[in-house]
Amino acid sequence: MELFDKLKILADSAKYDASCSSSGSNRKNTDNGIGNGHVSGICHSWGADGRCISLLKILFTNACIYDCKYCINRSSNSVPRATFTPQEVADLTIHFYKRNYIEGLFLSSAVIKSPDYTMERLVETASILRNEYHFHGYIHCKTIPGCSQELIDKLGLLVDRMSINIELPSNDSLKLLAPQKEKDGILKPMTYISNAIKVNKIDKSRYKKNFVPAGQTTQLMVGASPETDLKILKLSEGMYQSLKLKRVYYSAYVSVNHDKNLPTLEKPPLLRENRLYQADWLLRFYGFQADELLDDSHPNFNTLLDPKCDWALRNLDKFPIEINTANYHTLLRIPGIGVISAKKIITARREFLLDFESLKKLGVVLKRAQYFITCKGKYFYEVHKFNKNFIETNLLYTERKTIPQKKFEQLSIFDTLLPTKEDTIKCLTGSL
Amino acid sequence: MSNWKLVNVTYLYDGTFNGLLTIVFDSYSHKTLPQKIVPEEEYTQNFLEKTHYIDTNEEKAKRVFEGIHKNICYEALYNSFYAFLSNGDHKEIDILKYLCNGFGIGPKINTMLTISYVFKVINMRKRALSECHKLKGLLRFMEIGENVYYASIHPDNNIIEPLGHHFINRLPSQNFMIHDKNRNICFLYNKKSYQIVDSTNLTIPHITKEEQTYQELWKLFFKTIAIQERKNPRCQMQFMPKKYWQDLIEEP
Repeated sequence: MELFDKLKILADSAKYDASCSSSGSNRKNTDNGIGNGHVSGICHSWGADGRCISLLKILFTNACIYDCKYCINRSSNSVPRATFTPQEVADLTIHFYKRNYIEGLFLSSAVIKSPDYTMERLVETASILRNEYHFHGYIHCKTIPGCSQELIDKLGLLVDRMSINIELPSNDSLKLLAPQKEKDGILKPMTYISNAIKVNKIDKSRYKKNFVPAGQTTQLMVGASPETDLKILKLSEGMYQSLKLKRVYYSAYVSVNHDKNLPTLEKPPLLRENRLYQADWLLRFYGFQADELLDDSHPNFNTLLDPKCDWALRNLDKFPIEINTANYHTLLRIPGIGVISAKKIITARREFLLDFESLKKLGVVLKRAQYFITCKGKYFYEVHKFNKNFIETNLLYTERKTIPQKKFEQLSIFDTLLPTKEDTIKCLTGSL
Repeated sequence: MSNWKLVNVTYLYDGTFNGLLTIVFDSYSHKTLPQKIVPEEEYTQNFLEKTHYIDTNEEKAKRVFEGIHKNICYEALYNSFYAFLSNGDHKEIDILKYLCNGFGIGPKINTMLTISYVFKVINMRKRALSECHKLKGLLRFMEIGENVYYASIHPDNNIIEPLGHHFINRLPSQNFMIHDKNRNICFLYNKKSYQIVDSTNLTIPHITKEEQTYQELWKLFFKTIAIQERKNPRCQMQFMPKKYWQDLIEEP
């Protein structure tokens, strides 16, 4: 089979993997080597779906022995199958890398023959790249559930990042949609890798090399099974805390197969995926907890407002926050203020007291923040307007462009509630 | 700096960073602030303006360079150099004010973001650095001979040097040239040393057959990796503005 056909089939099968980051590893180049890692990662292109392309993302093979219902490569599907050789993958990576098309390799695979057999091929590929070509760029490799620990040890010393996809966020869904996989088969190697990373950091002398320096990640599928957002977010939070994962990726389920246990979706649930990512960031960088964002009375995210605004509106007693005195962690809780803005505010207010004008000068976006802050004790609007109704109406008004609109308009109470400038004038003159 | 004399003169210099540092030296020692600072090449005669050409003096420039490091901080050097590489309007006068004030205030100057020229310098640095980072990804090499690679770019800021250093670290065993078509300069590297030369009359030989195969493979990969059900051209364009498309191999 031609290289062109193989690449087409195996890139096409790999595209549903969301992960494509090349960050977290600072591998240095050597004299006779090629490539180095960039700690913040570099994106090399952006595909038609707007996702970045930074790694050569391919499957080693798509000839799978498993029959997971949601997967395009399930053994009972009739799709063209192909398998690379380790040498082919290594050559392609090096040639693309030399032309600066990519930042490294993302190698995943379907399970061919047995987990151990597949894993050996992946180790061989990574080994050719690292030891024969002296390649020091980024390599992200999937771990095959159910493979032996010796192979994980070997692979971990060669690659920068490892990952195992959980895909289905609960045991029941796993039984229903991926009957040949087991929860333990997935969680055991994850725990093993996370322990090995921990040991490697403390005991450098034993390994002499970095073990998975960019950490491990996983992916959860959204919309293929009935789990609520709360359940998914709780699972992510647990994994961040116990397994010290670098990232959890969420992938909106794209209907590729038809099965009685699978939902038929017209479009992938992109908004839901987006909300989960927003919440994921709040967990990792903003000091939020899953319980604060969602609870049993509303287990799913608000489709109209982002999770932080939603949280702020439910906890309006904590606001408004004074910009000049609040500490870093409190600043981060203000909707519209992120890590960069919060740090800027902290640096700038050491020299001057800040007001709304100087915040604008600093480049802090006030679109959302203006409703939740005071500067030198002053609120942006008249004080009596600080109430849930006013803020919510205005936030929804600013958000209306980013929320996907229906083709035909459905009447909603907010549309009529939004006060225009004329309305305000009419109110003042008493003609409304 | 409040007691400095404002002089109604336009300073001209040779357009190098050392030239600007010489101006900083002279302004600081005479306590004068010019109206404008313009590279000689870009200056158009104006009979209302008095001009004064300042010769680049390596000795003075070196003293300022070390002085910034010693009396302000390393970050100030970094800020002013990248601001200098940017395409900001009147960048020279802002850098001059930033540095001269910095000598009096010290490293604290970087936190005074509400002063307009400090903010401008830091913003210009940000702009140059972010374009440099973007091009680290979007630059495409093509093989035009045995182990000789060529890439063309059209950047807004003059970031060919930091960009070249990135690729020297990354691909040290490769001969390459990066061609800035907006400024007509070329970064050459031959596995040992590098050089930046003028490239007004540069002709590029045809690409090799092998090169063509890899370009086709890359285009195929690029097209295949996108999920059609999630098509989002606006998002794509936001990350990869159209001005960069002309130098790409793939067709977004």
